[in-house]
Amino acid sequence: MSNLLVARVDERPDFPLLRVALEPGQKVFAEPGAMVTMTSGVKLTAGFRGGIGATIGRALGGESLIMTTYAATESGEVTFAPPSLGDIQHVRLDGSGTVLVQRGAFLAHGEGVEVSASWQGARGFFSGQGLVMLKASGSGDLFFNSFGALIPLDVASDGLIVDTGFIVAFEDTVTYRVRSLPTARAGLFSKLKTFFMGGEAIVCEFSGRGRVWIQARQLGSYLSWVHPYRPVKQRSNDD
Amino acid sequence: MQIELLCRTASTVAKVTLGAGESVTCEVGSMVAMTPQVVVETTSKSRGGGMMAGIRRVFSGESFFLNHFTSRVEGGSVYLAPSQLADVYHHALRGGTVVVQGSSWLASSAGIEIDTTFAGLGNALFSGESMFWVKCTGTGDLLFNSFGAIYPIDVDGSYVVDTGHIVAFEETLAFQMTKASSSFIGSFLGGEGLVCRFNGRGRVWVQSHQPDAFGRTIGPLLLPRD
Repeated sequence: MSNLLVARVDERPDFPLLRVALEPGQKVFAEPGAMVTMTSGVKLTAGFRGGIGATIGRALGGESLIMTTYAATESGEVTFAPPSLGDIQHVRLDGSGTVLVQRGAFLAHGEGVEVSASWQGARGFFSGQGLVMLKASGSGDLFFNSFGALIPLDVASDGLIVDTGFIVAFEDTVTYRVRSLPTARAGLFSKLKTFFMGGEAIVCEFSGRGRVWIQARQLGSYLSWVHPYRPVKQRSNDD
Repeated sequence: MQIELLCRTASTVAKVTLGAGESVTCEVGSMVAMTPQVVVETTSKSRGGGMMAGIRRVFSGESFFLNHFTSRVEGGSVYLAPSQLADVYHHALRGGTVVVQGSSWLASSAGIEIDTTFAGLGNALFSGESMFWVKCTGTGDLLFNSFGAIYPIDVDGSYVVDTGHIVAFEETLAFQMTKASSSFIGSFLGGEGLVCRFNGRGRVWVQSHQPDAFGRTIGPLLLPRD
């Protein structure tokens, strides 16, 4: 029996459904609530997987403390959907590399993959990535989700610039630093104008060789658009 | 300039690949990713318009400022996306003018003059959309976005579009506000109120969803704001 899962994602990018085929004895671990359907030979158990360290790591990484395990007693299938309006990406880890996943973007993984917390510090704070990202390592299958479509981009020799808030995941063979957008004119005034008025004050510049997955939309911008349509709180006279 | 639309329909991203020295003018905040050999200049000026054009842009629902992305090398690319759950449409403008509804303009190449124009008081008050339109004239590539999917319609004669669904139209078409039914009562009971009647020959782009209708559907279900 192999650890590796046969998986496919249907109806990308707008309304994806992840289908994982399980052989007897195979397992897949997912965020609680992500499951849509499963065949009757699949047994579901919920628990703090991976001990106290991994559990706290997941919590810091914006994920649930609980992980749900789907174990097949006979050949079957489990399907998963993302919680938001977004896409699902399947990445196979070969044991040598590590993938860092944005807070909240983790969906599921197969056996052989370990998920832990990765401290990002000030760089994480300013880049909008959050202080902690989730680190997936080992060899096996990893699934993560986004808001809007997911686009894989390969970092070329001269690097890649991504606006903060659009980074979903990246391989640890690339590193990033926080910077302002490169401006056409060297003057301080044009730099300041771009910084304050250009809409993308801070961006992340990736270097090294590897892959970055970006999302096509931001949940935050969507929420700001919805905000004015919310009812206004009525103030009572007692206040 | 090469334009590729990725991940259609609900979260379309436009990948714009530039030649050396070539530039694209974009709505502020629309850049998602780019190669590092691309530089940006933020100005209030567009081709053919100075400070006043910037001020008029504010009224159209766009930003006072524009970002000009220029590639220093052959093949530098910029990924652009609207913030809405929306499709992006690429129109190769070959002379003539396309009028884009206030907040739908996303980007245009350097050969296109963009100017904001007043829709006319009557049209603005009744169209339910922004009072200003973005007028795009010249030759080059134009990108605009919708809310939902975009459907191009070739009009020859007369065609009626609900006001909240207009994304853009060719200026060869004459525009008239009219009531949907022959009677006023019928028009308002029918939920359409006033509609736009296009006359002439040209293309209209319509969007499948109306942002304001969606906002008014979900807004009241959310917690009140302070």
